[in-house]
Amino acid sequence: MSFVRAYMAAGPSVRAAAMRMATRPNSALLAHRLLSTTAPRSNKADDPFLSEAAKAQGGVIPPMNVRSPAGTALYSAKDEPGKDIDPYKDGPSAIDKAVQIFFLTEILRGMWIVLEQFFRPPYTIMYPFEKGPLSPRFRGEHALRRYPSGEERCIACKLCEAICPAQAITIESEARMDGSRRTTRYDIDMTKCIYCGFCQEACPVDAIVETQNQEYSTETREELLYNKEKLLANGDRAEAEIAANLHADHVYR
Amino acid sequence: MSLARYFNKVRRIGLKEYFRQMMYIGDVKVGRCVGSDQFGNRYFENMNPEEEVPGRHRWVDFAQHDFNATQVPAEWHAWISHIRKDPPPEDRVMQNLSPSWKAPWIENLTGTRGAYRPYNTTLPKYDTWEPKVASREGPSA
Repeated sequence: MSFVRAYMAAGPSVRAAAMRMATRPNSALLAHRLLSTTAPRSNKADDPFLSEAAKAQGGVIPPMNVRSPAGTALYSAKDEPGKDIDPYKDGPSAIDKAVQIFFLTEILRGMWIVLEQFFRPPYTIMYPFEKGPLSPRFRGEHALRRYPSGEERCIACKLCEAICPAQAITIESEARMDGSRRTTRYDIDMTKCIYCGFCQEACPVDAIVETQNQEYSTETREELLYNKEKLLANGDRAEAEIAANLHADHVYR
Repeated sequence: MSLARYFNKVRRIGLKEYFRQMMYIGDVKVGRCVGSDQFGNRYFENMNPEEEVPGRHRWVDFAQHDFNATQVPAEWHAWISHIRKDPPPEDRVMQNLSPSWKAPWIENLTGTRGAYRPYNTTLPKYDTWEPKVASREGPSA
């Protein structure tokens, strides 16, 4: 009852507003939204949403003519598509299906496929001799690179240390004898590392990279606490592969 | 059929090589030897899909009896992992990018005496106290 009373009080002004915005397609929706959110108006004389003609009629608006467009909502059950097709007309007969069930033909067909696979070469990759495909962007063991002159690239800017989400990198730096700033400590805790690759993305001089080496499993945990010498040694051994991968990938960056 | 292909491969590689392959790879493989590395491992390739299943068309014949997946150097690792198309002896890009100071590959030495042991690369931040005794003045007792 309260809803009806609110509708009676607010209805004419809201409908007038809706009619003023009748060009909009969602005017009915707007009217409903206003109905539910606005307080009922009582004073019709100073209602800004009410037109002059509506005020002259005492706020009464003739009801809107709501009808569906012609030609819609006229389908019945007999108009449903596909009613005139017999799906079983061209299929196997009941006898065929009974024969396939009783003589286990589907089982035999499955076993024949297994027998065919028995005479085909196996797809199994014999791992230490054959290896699966890797991407040039594969992120494996870390390495510190050098310039072609042999000078180490890392300038101890500590961007990799800052961006490392696992905080696996520890860097300490000092000025060298020639005045250039270099790291004295570059430790990566490979047990913390999550191999996200942010360090090589952050590096401004391409010093820290993740090589494609994934075969560095160790027997003890302490062997995974890499220091600078270990990382530089990794880079010295794999420099050709790292540079070739960066060369293959530079057109996409 | 596969049996004919099997015996055809055995005939092509010979009984001695067949015995070696059955001892190590466990399958008969025939291919072109594309090179060898510093350890003497030989690398083979057979791009014919009638003879080798695609994905198994590159393989290594390890020189050591105690073979190990990490005995493949980085350049050959890039080739056998299908990262590079050409093997290192034919890969001009990798040859041009190889520096003169490139270190020889070392296999994973974990579990041996050559295993990596982490150590500190910086000076210690503090020293232990070393007491110094000043020499006493005056007449000796």
